Amino acid sequence: MELRMYAYRCTACGKLFHPARAVCRECGGREFEAVPLEGEGTLLTYTRVYALPEGYMKPWLGFGIVEFPNGVRVSGQMNTEDLAVGMKVRATVGVIKEGVGRDYYGFIFEKAAQA
Amino acid sequence: MVRKVGIAGVGHTKFGRSEVPLVDMLALAALEALDDAGIRTGKGHGVDQVFVASMGAGLLNRQSSVASALVDTLNLQPAMAETVENGPASGASAVKLGYMAIASGMCDVALVVGGELMRVVTGWEATDFVATMLHPDAEYAYGLTLPAFAGMFTRLYMDKYGVTEKDLAMVAVKNHEHAMHNPVAHIQLVPSFHAIIEDEDAPVINPYVAEPLRVYDVCPVSDGAAAVVLCAMDLADRFPKKPVRIAGIGQATDTHVVAEREVPTDLLAVRLAAQRAYAMAGLKPEDIDVAELHDAFTILEIAISEEAGLFPRGKGHLAVRRGETRVGGRIPINTSGGLKAKGHPLGATGVSQIVELVRQLRGEAGGRQVEGARHGLAVNFGGFGNNVVATILSKEE
Repeated sequence: MELRMYAYRCTACGKLFHPARAVCRECGGREFEAVPLEGEGTLLTYTRVYALPEGYMKPWLGFGIVEFPNGVRVSGQMNTEDLAVGMKVRATVGVIKEGVGRDYYGFIFEKAAQA
Repeated sequence: MVRKVGIAGVGHTKFGRSEVPLVDMLALAALEALDDAGIRTGKGHGVDQVFVASMGAGLLNRQSSVASALVDTLNLQPAMAETVENGPASGASAVKLGYMAIASGMCDVALVVGGELMRVVTGWEATDFVATMLHPDAEYAYGLTLPAFAGMFTRLYMDKYGVTEKDLAMVAVKNHEHAMHNPVAHIQLVPSFHAIIEDEDAPVINPYVAEPLRVYDVCPVSDGAAAVVLCAMDLADRFPKKPVRIAGIGQATDTHVVAEREVPTDLLAVRLAAQRAYAMAGLKPEDIDVAELHDAFTILEIAISEEAGLFPRGKGHLAVRRGETRVGGRIPINTSGGLKAKGHPLGATGVSQIVELVRQLRGEAGGRQVEGARHGLAVNFGGFGNNVVATILSKEE
């Protein structure tokens, strides 16, 4: 399995989206091309959740909304206990949920290395 | 021709834990509403359509076509019947469809029942079930839940507007105090403000669920059902009580994926739904005397009160501090106890809010009565704000 996440660029107007959608929010275009969504971003908000849904064995899990420099915002899991609004994070791709017969992959953000 | 539509009867089970299966529970609320409207079921009953709101009958109770089953047990054949699913806004959506059925001239009388039997599963299964309304790949698969999004929203709201954890605790305590006067509320006790937020043991008594939200910021998991009988206002004389008029209904949608919201602290669908309801009713926010707002999380009562125009943006928590939103205040909010204390059986909630407003406008609200209430607003919030229904009721003079 290729561990990569994507944004979807409207071939008509160039606007980027994640996740994929049927119709461009900006221009109504219906064709998109996948472009890798990776690298560093900014943490806009976060939470630690102590009442996880069925299927998670951990006592708590961190979640955040991250904005990439290209403007795309995504939700993801946070793999750091050191969380602050506005901090730089780095996108990795990993197992976000273990399923029966298949695992689910998605964004797991880590604290970005100091510049 | 658009006919005016009113509410001739209301019914409501005690929220909490049901002793009976789903359809029996729906029937209890329905029969109370039919009795209130003076309707005897059976031959010549006069109920043309039945709408049943349930989000989880299929997923939680493994039952489908609930409306067909309800019509039969109530002896309401051959009434038309549909089950309505619109997430946690299913209840208000069903009321809207009942309104449309009568306003269009298609029928005269409609029964709308909302209900959910949730306590058949564990808390984490219920949390998982509610999360199925999120985006399957970009949200649900991550373990994200409604409390998680509410927590992230709360953090932004606190940073932007200065809302504090104490403000949220004040909302919770207020709603629990209101629920003490509502015999159908799930939780009949008032937590101590000091114990849940100020005491050194507060982190133990009231631990975080999804930071910065704590246990007392989150609604309980409840079973329950609520029902209303809708009628054409030109037939008002048929019913023992003067019908309360449905003056306006508005609904709006927003992005499915929460991260895609342009301004993450805005609840655009609430704003638009409320504006549409005010426009239809010919009323303004200043005209509202009492409001039932979807406080699945305490922060939502504050944010919705602002988006619905009851307070300026970022000022809702100041009104809470001043006591303006409690019974006796300028604009009492969640006199029923709200989702926080009355409970939140998903499909029931939108109908339950309407039941409370009818009781307020009729003057039947007992110890929680808002004196002289003429116009009431309900906001039923689906998704994390991606599908919202606002309803305005008016007392007919």
